Amino acid sequence: MIRPAPWLLGVGLVLAGPATVAGQGPGTPWEMPLRAGPAAPAARGEARLQFAPSPFGVAVTADGRHRYDVRITAENLPDPATLGPYRVLLAWETPRDLSTWHRLGVVRNGTSLVGTADHNKFLLVITAEPDSLVTTRSGPTVLHGMSPSGWLQQFLTHPLFRGMSQ
Amino acid sequence: MGHDHDGMAMDMPIPMPKGMVMLPGLVGLTPPVAPFLPGMVADPAGLPSARPSQVVALADGDTLDLTAGLVARTIRGRTYTMYAFNGQVPGPMIRVARGATITVRFHNAIDLESTVHWHGLRLDNGSDGVPGLTQAPVEPGGDHTYTVRFPDAGIYWYHPHVREDIQQALGLYGNLLVDSEDPDYYAPANREQALMLSDLLVHHDTLIAFGREAPDFALMGRVGNLLLVNGEPEYRLDVERGEVVRFHLTNVANSRTWNLSIPGVPMKVVASDVGRFEREEWVASVVLAPAERYVIEARFAEPGRYPLVNAIQAVDHYRGEFEPQVDTLGWITVGSRPVRPDHASSFAVLRHNTDVTAEIDRYRDQFDRAPDKTLHLTVAVSGLPLTTVQFMSVDTAYYHPVEWVDGMPEMNWLSTAQQVHWILRDEATGAENHAIDWTVRQGAVVKLRLVNEATSFHPMQHPIHLHGQRMLVLSRDGVPTTNLVWKDTVLIPVGSTVDLLIDAANPGAWMLHCHIAEHLGAGMMATMHVVP
Repeated sequence: MIRPAPWLLGVGLVLAGPATVAGQGPGTPWEMPLRAGPAAPAARGEARLQFAPSPFGVAVTADGRHRYDVRITAENLPDPATLGPYRVLLAWETPRDLSTWHRLGVVRNGTSLVGTADHNKFLLVITAEPDSLVTTRSGPTVLHGMSPSGWLQQFLTHPLFRGMSQ
Repeated sequence: MGHDHDGMAMDMPIPMPKGMVMLPGLVGLTPPVAPFLPGMVADPAGLPSARPSQVVALADGDTLDLTAGLVARTIRGRTYTMYAFNGQVPGPMIRVARGATITVRFHNAIDLESTVHWHGLRLDNGSDGVPGLTQAPVEPGGDHTYTVRFPDAGIYWYHPHVREDIQQALGLYGNLLVDSEDPDYYAPANREQALMLSDLLVHHDTLIAFGREAPDFALMGRVGNLLLVNGEPEYRLDVERGEVVRFHLTNVANSRTWNLSIPGVPMKVVASDVGRFEREEWVASVVLAPAERYVIEARFAEPGRYPLVNAIQAVDHYRGEFEPQVDTLGWITVGSRPVRPDHASSFAVLRHNTDVTAEIDRYRDQFDRAPDKTLHLTVAVSGLPLTTVQFMSVDTAYYHPVEWVDGMPEMNWLSTAQQVHWILRDEATGAENHAIDWTVRQGAVVKLRLVNEATSFHPMQHPIHLHGQRMLVLSRDGVPTTNLVWKDTVLIPVGSTVDLLIDAANPGAWMLHCHIAEHLGAGMMATMHVVP
């Protein structure tokens, strides 16, 4: 694990200035831009996170991970049949190490409420699949994105400090 | 680097999370306020020892003498000079029947001005306990008489409304339990427990001093490293097998939001600030923001030892990672003898409180209209250390909707209400905090929209409390609430927009403010005038 040397962090902060990264982040902790995959370069989309219903307003798991309902708004999605032997576009949630894949739901042009995500940091991947009940991701990627919490990263690996940790 | 029992670095002026260093440019700095600790001239050995809370059952027309005083409080073997109501931590639990009115003769025997606020009660405005608004502050040695009425059943609490960051943190809080005249108000339970959750910030076995002229820890509020239930670091409860226990939970911490659970034990949430939910719900854990209350029922079906835990995901701002943290607050031991009566069958049923729904139905035609007022929650800063300003500009690339612990304690400590100005801003006029002109007619139903800005210098969640009225949380970010309950405090996460419906039935001048004590001390308050 890389730990920032205090002096290096100080130099970085001085170089950063007070407004250097304004606008680089996701804007709010709720917005999640999606990028087109190579199989569907014209696809556009974004995900909106909202706390899942909870009597407490703030939905969390027993171990404290936030639980978000995921709404995906997309356009220019291809007909999955044009990408191969596929019939649906499915959203998946996976942590950054890709260790587990949680099937969410079907994505269509327009807005789709696809399910609940509860990893601290996660990727959303929309793939073409044979049907909506598959348990394993197999088809080509149409859209993908990183949760806003992905912007939380070690300072010396932050784009601001790229190259300073060597 | 040495670490104490909480995994905190010890060679710093304040406790720092394990492995965290103070930033260059902050080393050697101290908050620009004089340090304050209670009874600085008092020897704890000469003070009475704090005692556990006692239940004081009062009838309509009764009078209670309530004194805020200095006590010696021993926690984990270390004795501190702290505060207590009537020598008890928590203060006496006042238990009354709904509809009662009592008189409380308050005596201030601490070394600061004080008052008593009766949190959540729709009482007469003159007894609301807000200095400069409903009364003059009570000087040390002074007295004030409150007339306290209880129009609603439920769990409430009382605390000072002067320098809450100090007085509340050091022990001045107590519960008010208001019983309904309806014996079937709650499902049957074998036992009731009132738990007041707080924390205390200590280092090298001493209290971290408070700011004398203004609160310190103004960015995030003071987040303690000793977690306390009813003032003690380890809660204990012995129950019989099969007992249903009704827990009345109150968060009296300055800033901490809790996520409580009893692993292996089913729980349901039945009520919150000002009464019951429309429908009871099974829950895996209970999220409790400062000043909120929830009533939980749990059934201990099997013998054994069960922990009461606070489990959260802390944000490590340096490493850019989430860190799971689990603190065990206490233990519930379940014996092998079966309890009588056995409420297993009634516990298995989630009640639908049709009377609650019917009463709320009277307000539903107001749910969908445009807000009457929109307030933005934001912050302005000036004069903070340059390193803090620069660090924050990087760190705001992402803000977690709810920060569960203090991930930047040194910057937080060095920030005071002299540099940090928390703001409620009226969208229509631009007026801020007390400059907001807000008058409504008694009996009006007011729709208030709160927007917690995500792009300020330091976005943070805010538990917003309205005095003297009750309100419904209609929606969050446009998604309607489907199980309503009357509230007086609502948590607004970073970047969220929350619509509230206020039942402005109670005349007077009522504060609306953030209940993070340091945010209140840094200005985050406004007044709603309800006129006949």
